[in-house]
Amino acid sequence: MRPFDHLTLMQFTWAALSILGFSIRVNLRGWKILLLALGGGLSWALYLIFLYYSNSLLFSIFCAVIVVCIYSEIVARLIKVPVSVFVTCAIIPLVPGSSLYYAMQGFIAGNSELASEHTYKVLLISGTIAMAIAVVSSATNLIFRFRNRF
Amino acid sequence: MATINIREATEISLEIGRMLLQSGATANRVERMMHKVSEVFGYQHTETYVTPTGIFISVSDSQTKLNTSIRRIDNRRTDLGKITRISHFVNELEQHYCRDGQCRLSAEEFLQKLAQIDKAKVYPAWFSVFCGGLTSGCFCLLFGGSWAEFAVAYAVGVLVSLSLRLLGLLQINNFLLNILGAAMVVTFAKLIDIVVPNIKLDNIIIGGIMLLVPGLNFVNAIRDTMSGDLVSGTARAVEAVFIAVAIAAGSGVMLKLWELWGF
Repeated sequence: MRPFDHLTLMQFTWAALSILGFSIRVNLRGWKILLLALGGGLSWALYLIFLYYSNSLLFSIFCAVIVVCIYSEIVARLIKVPVSVFVTCAIIPLVPGSSLYYAMQGFIAGNSELASEHTYKVLLISGTIAMAIAVVSSATNLIFRFRNRF
Repeated sequence: MATINIREATEISLEIGRMLLQSGATANRVERMMHKVSEVFGYQHTETYVTPTGIFISVSDSQTKLNTSIRRIDNRRTDLGKITRISHFVNELEQHYCRDGQCRLSAEEFLQKLAQIDKAKVYPAWFSVFCGGLTSGCFCLLFGGSWAEFAVAYAVGVLVSLSLRLLGLLQINNFLLNILGAAMVVTFAKLIDIVVPNIKLDNIIIGGIMLLVPGLNFVNAIRDTMSGDLVSGTARAVEAVFIAVAIAAGSGVMLKLWELWGF
């Protein structure tokens, strides 16, 4: 049972704790920060699980962000918090901070192969996250427009 | 019971718009909130136009009067809690305070309530600094750090949050703030590295950088573009790119300086 073991659980916990810290830093309060942390942890755990089965970085990021965005759209409307607050906190673990760092390190060391590889990765990952958020938010707009019509 | 006149209605909606935009709400949300507020006060025909650096609103009572006002927005900082509280306030306004243009409170009392929300301190400063440490420490673990590295990343996170708070008092622009923040992440990590043996700096610095990444700008840029606010979508996307470049430049220059220094 490789993807569903204690290692994934630990990674889930770290991601959730870091989002907990982040949401306190941006002055959110109440029990909703637990739901935010759950969203953050979920995005990272789903990313790991999809990565195990599909072996494709971009596909797993895309699927993880889509699931987490659907979670955010539903939960944010239930507890009456702006959706973008939820989505922001949920995707933070997937933001390519590490690729950005390695790209910069490559540039500093004069290793342009490493640098361009990681720069490319930064662009692709952020583009994928953007696509996934765009898909979910336009689908939601569409659903609400239909609901208002009928 | 009091009626809110057209000038006061404009003033209150502009104030709500300003607070939302400064704390990082999407343009679409700001426009909807301002519409709602002026509608609650009995002015059905309102047009708003929101960009990340300015708000334009014209409130009209559909017969004779029309009041247009603009406001310039600067020094934005992420405060998701404030967005949530203002959204709650607008909902309350609709449900409890006002009915058919008749309000229980006067315009001044509304503005006072808004000022209270604006100034409210949710957490003491030491606590949010402590949580900055938690964020960067956990990201260090997430990217494969050991427990010793977690402790160092925690200390770096606390120090960086603290110094970002102090730098925030100087009201310098976002770009410079991120360059300095990233440079400080590297500096603190290197300084601790001198004292503590056997740690890898990569994960620690990445953990610190995750405190600065422009996640909110990025999400807002996409959501703005999708809701049709092209001006603010593009502006925010460019801001996110600039911040990312600033982070890379700040940490890169600092790393190179330390390398030249001989560590």
